[in-house]
Amino acid sequence: MKYLIVTLLLVLSLASASVYAGGFQLNEHGAKAMAMGGAYTAVANDPSAIYWNGAGLTALSGTHIMVGASLIMPNTTFRGVSPSITNYDMEKQAFTPPHIFVSHSIDKDWAVGLGFTVPFGLGTRWGDDWIGKYLAIETELMTFTVMPTVAYRINDYISISGSFVYSFANVLITRKSPQTPFAGDAFIHLEGNDNSAFGYNFGLMVKPIEKVSVGVSFHSQIDYTFEGTAVSTGAQQLIDAKRLPNDDVKAELTTPFNLAFGIAVDVTDQLKISADYQRVGWSSYDSLKVDFNDPAFTDLASPREYEDSYIIRLGASYKYNNTYSFMGGIYYDNNPVSPDFVNPSLPDANRLGFSFGLEAKLTEKIGIQASYLFIRSEELTVTNSRENYVPGISLIFFQLAFYIVYKNFKG
Amino acid sequence: MKKTLNAIFILFFALIIFYGCEDRSDLVAPPDLTPVSGDANLSKYVAIGNSLTAGYQSSALYQSAQQYSYPNLIAQQVGLTSFAQPLISDPGIGGQIKIVSLEPFVTKYEQSSGTPINLSYPALYGNLGIPGAVLYDVMNATNSTDCGQALSGGGSNPFFDIVLRNSTLNLGSQFKQAKILHPTFITLWIGNNDVLGFATSGGAKPTAPTPSATFAYLFSQLADSLASTGAKVVVANIPSVTAIPFFTTVGPGFGLQLKALSVPAFYYQSGQYVPTIGTPDQLINKTILLTLISQTYLADFGKPSGRFYRDKGIPPAAVGADTTQPLGSQGNPIPNALVLDAAEINIAAQSTNDFNSTISAVASAKGWGLVNINSIFNAIRVNDATGGTDFGGISFKTTFVTGGLFSLDGVHPTAQGQAILANEFLKVINSKFGASYPLIDVGTIPGSLGLAKSLANKVVLPDYNYSMLKNLCF
Repeated sequence: MKYLIVTLLLVLSLASASVYAGGFQLNEHGAKAMAMGGAYTAVANDPSAIYWNGAGLTALSGTHIMVGASLIMPNTTFRGVSPSITNYDMEKQAFTPPHIFVSHSIDKDWAVGLGFTVPFGLGTRWGDDWIGKYLAIETELMTFTVMPTVAYRINDYISISGSFVYSFANVLITRKSPQTPFAGDAFIHLEGNDNSAFGYNFGLMVKPIEKVSVGVSFHSQIDYTFEGTAVSTGAQQLIDAKRLPNDDVKAELTTPFNLAFGIAVDVTDQLKISADYQRVGWSSYDSLKVDFNDPAFTDLASPREYEDSYIIRLGASYKYNNTYSFMGGIYYDNNPVSPDFVNPSLPDANRLGFSFGLEAKLTEKIGIQASYLFIRSEELTVTNSRENYVPGISLIFFQLAFYIVYKNFKG
Repeated sequence: MKKTLNAIFILFFALIIFYGCEDRSDLVAPPDLTPVSGDANLSKYVAIGNSLTAGYQSSALYQSAQQYSYPNLIAQQVGLTSFAQPLISDPGIGGQIKIVSLEPFVTKYEQSSGTPINLSYPALYGNLGIPGAVLYDVMNATNSTDCGQALSGGGSNPFFDIVLRNSTLNLGSQFKQAKILHPTFITLWIGNNDVLGFATSGGAKPTAPTPSATFAYLFSQLADSLASTGAKVVVANIPSVTAIPFFTTVGPGFGLQLKALSVPAFYYQSGQYVPTIGTPDQLINKTILLTLISQTYLADFGKPSGRFYRDKGIPPAAVGADTTQPLGSQGNPIPNALVLDAAEINIAAQSTNDFNSTISAVASAKGWGLVNINSIFNAIRVNDATGGTDFGGISFKTTFVTGGLFSLDGVHPTAQGQAILANEFLKVINSKFGASYPLIDVGTIPGSLGLAKSLANKVVLPDYNYSMLKNLCF
């Protein structure tokens, strides 16, 4: 007879504020993984393994369902443009990227899973008349992925996994544009979506000796072609003369690959520590191009010049007793873009993440996880910005982030 | 061992909580960037000049343009909090030109006027630039009827009354009012109208620029007077008047049009109304220049037309024109006031050279800073063919409308053009007096070519009409 456990995870989220990982990547796919600073590639011992390392599924028995959403509230302050020291605060917004993971163990060697999560997202909104209004007022991007996954245990030491990734995404960009040499400003609104983009993931989990596991996980880059519309409001003369875009648009975006190596060690029966090195292929984000259908409009292309980057993660979990476990973690996320190209639509800087969490089993099949992530971004002073605040100008960014995820699972 | 590990883990956990809960929303203020004034003391700054100094744009003087006058931009940049200008509410005085449509290019002028906002300002204005002022006026003119324009038959100039307010103040000329202010620093940019008035009227009114010897005499007299105030002075010279869009826009295009129609030649009035033959190539090569105003009347080329004379109130017979004949023929040549021919171009160029020699000699004798606007402007013009000149990340050319430097009258700078001028003054202040004032970020200055919002109750004229520019003062 098959031994079957049904696990239902219900995830509730609370947060005060947060900002993203480097670029516009979101690494929040499960409270426990997040509580351990994301050093989870070699841990991957819950259904969120479908994202972190599918090969971890072979260690889960029965069927698990995990449903959740996180609340993210980004917070960024801008001071400048030099010699002005005026402070501008990004408007407070809340985002709730959801995640659902379902896993099923077929036999002791084979497991399958289906994941739904938001690996990339971005949401920034500044005032309509702030100093950087010509660069960005509101920017929003969300990519959703569905990942059917198969995991196979080759032997007692090695498991592998592969996922097919189907993705859909939407994007919104609004900003003002000067009508120079004409008087006044125009308002530009771009919106688009892509309903079919594809990628793949691979995972590898090795347990070379007892109490030690090593994981490798690869997420491919995904090419999106957004189709949508550009709507401009401004002087009618400029609209009539097709100097302001009002047309169908196409824009391409490639999200970066992720390659993570992790190691986890059970130091004692109660304490597990883990470390990850994650390579992020941000060089895929080299320029942002918007093509108009009507050749009368000038296509837009702005260089982004992102470079491949890395994240170093350390995490620990401590099993206090059969009911309670505590987790803590820390990570360093290296800024993927030169300060010259930092844009207020995506205020990037070196980031340090600090996280902690709690896991409590309420009954045999119901539990609670809570985790909190604080991402501290380095204060960034930008001189000689390549963005059109205009050269010779100093910009200063400071970012602050909090993150709380509250998890409640049933089984 | 186990207890130690547990203790380390708990400590690690506690530190993360402690660190993670700390509020870090304060942003460190950047260091103080107070500029150094060097030997220049701009605490009492006075600007003397003409329309360029006043901040005149698109054929009118109005507040939203005046706020970007180069003297006001300089005052802001050096941190002056009380630099007063004789502000006029929008749409200003002069008949502001606005764009009705870009393709085809149609403009109109505001028939309504603004009114002076701070006539009762309880001190003298720091910006004493008066649209229409010639060199003679700086020392001598006190009101709308004793200025050079009025004395030479050009009609009264109301801007003298608005700026000098002598009906109530009775304090005298631009120079006298400047002196009363006990200035520590003066910028002087005058003399443009001494040649420009001759050029923009096609050599018709006045019939000659101010004689070079007269200019030299008046300028040295002014220089001695300014020296008596003890103020540091920066003076700007005169850009080549025939390279502004007012002259370079219509002719080449019209020349190409004539060539396309296989019209081998046309007649225009040279000098004093003498019918003279001109060729399309002369227009294309800019050896014959057509004013911006001519655009409207050239629509009638090849057809009997007396529109120009009607608009201007001149009997055609008085200038030997027969308006029953086609415009551009020997009997009805293109009117003198619309054409600047080779001889007139030479006269304007010669005067500009002479005036600039005087200005640079006086500047070096008096130890003044010299802003060589002429060479700066020529350098920008040279780059027109190769994509323009970059200021603050924006490419500028001397071309009409698209160039970004000149407002819709083709003579006066846009707000961004004024910022470029202000930066040239600041550069000279910095180098001459060892100061370190930051330059203006040209990109932060908004575009200023007016777009007409509503066509209701406005007279819409195709292209340029003489009446639109009849009040054009320099």
